[in-house]
Parts: sequence; C-alpha cells; structure tokens
Amino acid sequence: MKSIFAKSHRGIACAAAVLLAAIGVEAQAAETSYPLTLTNCGHQVIFQKAPDRAVSIGQSSTEILYLLGLQDRMVGTAVWIGPVINGYEEANAKVERLADNDPSFESVVARKPDLVTAQFQWHVGPEGIVARPEQFEELGVPVYTSPADCVGKDNSGGGDGVRHTVFTMDLIYQEITELVQIFNVQERGEKLVAELKAREEAAKKKIASADGRLSAVFWFSSAELDIDPYVAGKNGAPGYIMRSLGIRNVVDSEEEWPTVGWETIAKSGPTLVVAGKMERRRFPADDIAVKHKFLESDPVTSLMPAVKEGHVVEMDAQAMNPTIRTIEGIEVLADAVEKSGLNK
Amino acid sequence: MIGITPSLSRTSAGLLALVVLLVALWLGAAIGETAIPMGVVAKTVANRLWDAGYGLDALDEGIIWNYRVSRAIVAACCGSALALSGVVLQSLLRNPLADPYILGISAGASTGAVAVAVLGIGAGLLTLPVGAFVGALLAFGLVSLLAMRAGRGHGAIILAGVAGSQLFNALTSFIVTKAANAEQARAIMFWLLGNLSGVRWPDVWVAVPVAAVGLIVCLWHARALDAFTFGSESAASLGIPVRRVYGVLIGVTAMMTAAMVSMVGSIGFVGLVIPHVSRMIVGVRHGLLLPGSALIGAVFMIAADIVSRIIIPGQVLPIGVVTALVGAPAFAVILSQRRTVR
Repeated sequence: MKSIFAKSHRGIACAAAVLLAAIGVEAQAAETSYPLTLTNCGHQVIFQKAPDRAVSIGQSSTEILYLLGLQDRMVGTAVWIGPVINGYEEANAKVERLADNDPSFESVVARKPDLVTAQFQWHVGPEGIVARPEQFEELGVPVYTSPADCVGKDNSGGGDGVRHTVFTMDLIYQEITELVQIFNVQERGEKLVAELKAREEAAKKKIASADGRLSAVFWFSSAELDIDPYVAGKNGAPGYIMRSLGIRNVVDSEEEWPTVGWETIAKSGPTLVVAGKMERRRFPADDIAVKHKFLESDPVTSLMPAVKEGHVVEMDAQAMNPTIRTIEGIEVLADAVEKSGLNK
Repeated sequence: MIGITPSLSRTSAGLLALVVLLVALWLGAAIGETAIPMGVVAKTVANRLWDAGYGLDALDEGIIWNYRVSRAIVAACCGSALALSGVVLQSLLRNPLADPYILGISAGASTGAVAVAVLGIGAGLLTLPVGAFVGALLAFGLVSLLAMRAGRGHGAIILAGVAGSQLFNALTSFIVTKAANAEQARAIMFWLLGNLSGVRWPDVWVAVPVAAVGLIVCLWHARALDAFTFGSESAASLGIPVRRVYGVLIGVTAMMTAAMVSMVGSIGFVGLVIPHVSRMIVGVRHGLLLPGSALIGAVFMIAADIVSRIIIPGQVLPIGVVTALVGAPAFAVILSQRRTVR
C-alpha cells in the first residue's frame, strides 16, 4: 500500500512539475523579453523593443497587423490588390498608403520605420525591387518577411517563384505568432489563430461527404484573353484550399502560377473552375465578367462540363494568394460546392 | 526561255511544296500538349469542311479545329511572311544581315504592346496586338524618315534601323523597369519572345490574306529583286522604276511584319536565317527563292511551334526561344557543311 501511495504521490508531483513548467513556458510566451532574436527567411533579425512605427509592404502583412489591432503602431502601407478586409476600412484610412503598387526605398525610409514587414520577397528580398533587407538593416530597420513567401519556396528565378514545399495555413499562423512576439501582444495572436482554425474546420465539415470525388482549376488571370491562362500550381494557397477540402487540382506544377494551355485544362475535365475576382484591371481577363464570357463563348472551354453545368466559382484573388484570406477561399469553395449539390 | 521540261519540273516542285506544307499542317494539328489520336485530325477536318458526320469526342474535335488547325495555319503564315520579308530586305539593302528587326519594326511593335499592357495606354480600346501594330508602323515611319533625311544610300536605312531599334528597345526597357511587376514582366517576356497559344480562327482571316498578298506582291517583283542584287543603279539601268519598287516592297514588308508580330509576338531568327537556308537549297534567283523561303519559313515555324508545345510537359515555351535554340545550331550545321563542300 505504502509503495503504491508513494508512487501516486510521485505521480502527482511529476504532474505538478509538468503543469508548473507549462505555466512557466506560457508565462514566458506571454511576455517578450527584448532584445528579441528571430530567424526569418534565413536571416537573423534582432528587435531591441516592440515597434512603434511599422511600414508593411503587402496587403496580407498589413491586414494581419490590423487583425492584431496594431493599426496605431503603423506609419505606412503599400502593395494593394483589393479592398481591405471587412471591418477595417476606418483603421486602414488612418494609415498612410505609400503606393498602391511598389513603393520606392526612400518613401519607406522617409516614414522613419522601426520595422518593415514584407509579404513578397520580390519587393524586399535578395532581388527585391524596393530594396534588399540589408539596405534597411544598414539604417537600423529590421525587416520581417512573411514565412509564406520563403519557407520551402524558391524566389531566385524571378516571377512568382517555385514552391517546393506545400503551403499550409501553418505558415500564416507562424507569421501571426512571430508578429505578436515582435509586438509583444501574445493574447491577441492566440485568439486570432484559434478563430481561424475554427473557421477552417467548419468549412471542411460542410462538404466532407464530397471527399475525393471533385477536381478543380484555379484561374487567376491571363496576359491576353485567348492566351494560356495563369492557373494555380499544386503547392500554393489554392493547392492548400483544394487539399483541405479533398478536391483534386488538375494542374500538377510546382510553380506558383504556371501558364497552362486551355487545351490541357479542358482535357483534364475539372468539376469546378474557380475564377479570380479582383479590382485591378491590368489584363482584360482580370475582370470576372470577361472571364465568364470567355469560358462560355470559347469553342473549347464552353464544352467543359464545369462550364456547361455552371460550376464556375468566383473567388477573391487575395484568397488565392498565401494570405490571411486563404481561409476565406476555403469557406467560399466549400459554400459553392454545398450550394451546387456536388457534395451529394 | 521556259521550255517544257522546266515548266514540268516547276509543276512537280509546286506539288511537292504543297504536299510538304499539308503534311506540316497536319502534324501541327496532330501533335500538341495533350494526346489526341492522329486519325482524329482528318476526321475533324472532314466533319468541319464537308459535314462528314464522324462521331468524335466534342472536346477533341474542338481542340483540333479551334485551337490547333488555326494555330498551325497562322504559324505557317507567320513563317512565310517573316522569311519573305527577310529575302526582300536582304536583296534591297544588299546586306545579308538585314531582316525585319533591322528596320526597328519588331522593336516598335514590342514598345507598342508593352505600352498598352503596362501603362494601360488606350485601356479598354487598344488590345495588345493593336498596340503592337501601331508601334510597328510608328517605328517604321520614324526609321524611314530618318533614312530619307540621311540620304538614299542603302547603308542609311540600316543605320537608321539600328538607331530606331535601340531607341524602341530602350523605351520598352524603360516602361518595363518603371512600371511592371513580376507578373507583368512575365506576361511581357512571353509576348516579346513570341507565343501562338492565343491564336484562333479570326487570326487566320488576317494572317492568310496578309501572307498571300505579301507573296504575290513579292513574286510580282521577283525580276526587280534579282536586279536589285546588283545595286539600285544597275536596276535603274535595266529600266526598273527604282523608287516605286523600293517603296512598294519596303511597304509590304513592314505591313507583313507588323501584322504577324502583332498577332504572335516578335519572333526572331526566321527573317534573318531562313532566306540564307533557302538560297543554299534553291539558289539565288528570286523566282524560286521567294516561294522557297515562304515554304521553308512556314514549315520551320510549324515545327518550332510543335516543339514549343511538347518540350515541357503541361507548359508552353515561348516560340522565339525555340526558333533560336533549335534554329541557330541547325543553321550553324548547314553553314559549316556548305563550307566543307566548297
């Protein structure tokens, strides 16, 4: 008896120790101790204190900061693809927009930032058109780049890059977690991540019955209307959206947005065509109405079952990029499948 | 001069050329990104032209007829037109390096297309091809003006062309550097190197007449072109209205290049090299050189397009890359073999 007692005592003691340790870790995670050193996109970044003047280059980076309630600590944004995430119009109006597209290095520096966040390495990266991270660091400005654009992704070839490792929302959750560490606002980050995960689960459940039976192609845009379209490769955000819903991508390329001929797409016979909706009007096919018209009038695409049966889904282009909006993409596609009855 | 035997051989040569062209077109329609049985091509053509009523998969038939047949025909027309332009320019300017590029036509077309794509000039009204066409004509006009001001020596227009090309290439780079992002730069690169994937039947109705008219006008002036080979003074002494012929031929060359470049992008190499290959095969007389170049250009372009579609599975390589990567070494081989023979 005694020995059993002793054992259980030891057990309790162990459990208590684990619990205490966990609380200790929790307590450490709750407060950032500066200087904070992070490894980001292969670079060591050091923060002496929580930033007060952040400039974010890339809509997704900006929106994550808004969702974390950090708009008061932002002094500039740039690179906008569409309207700001719902409910943050007012916050967004107060932050100076340096440029809709690529800001110049000096316009960023002029805001005297103590942090620059970048969504894409082609803006701030080894070949960045705004600057290389070192250029900012020389001025004492740390640069944080979205892990979604560099983890498992090769940006050295220019263009949209090649993703060797599958994108998952974990990269966005990592970005949130690291940003809350940098800004020392941990509790907001945990709440946001929990919310996003719950939304993802709910969407998956909606069409769980369709698992494995559907296929899709994600059409972002085309340089010219008739020409080979930019469609989603297998490893980017659309790949994740499809995989999480059990839908097969008919395009099998590691490139982020390869150009694939309509002939190949039509022959692969996807059940769904997901068409990008965006505000920009750089190419005619940026317009969702033009996309619909093309699909219905082209002598070959009009024969595709997805088009004939009206399974063309509209999706915000921001959800098609590895962003905080990817979650919306999962919801939109799940809703569309449920509504069309394809899951039955 | 023409006896029975030459005219017979001319007929059989013509027939042979037609057969070669048809085989090339058939291959162009049969080989593509996705596998469709060879026999479907003939049945599709029979269905569409003579209502033969073969039961075919609608998608296969659609792909063959709407994408591949139209594409092969336009490729053939482009190859012909660019090769013809090369022959004419090399003869008129008495320069073996002359081709549509030297007149700055392609550079101007690029600038026009890039201006529409990147700067959004004439947004909604002007499409990329229209921008290219306007750019090509503008560049040609500018180069001609410069050449006329510089004097009428045949060196003048080449120098003017070089200056024009440089100017328009610089403008293109300027616009791309200033305004384009990664996606645009890629779209433009694709366009600058040529791409036939956007070709449909409406393009055929432009390409065929342009190439046909170009060939007829050039053939009409075959004798004059022979004379020009010895210089414009010799041509004049043979009773050829030099200025008129010069104007007509340069004009038709500009029109052909601008139309083709605006449809499929600027494809190098063909205009420069195919005339030389043709000269090695059919000789220097323009009566044969012109149709020979047109045929070889057509077949070469269809072949290059086939290669561009199948070399990377599931993806298309710009045809300009293929024409240069495959064409240049092939030309080097032909050139060196010819040397050893002599």
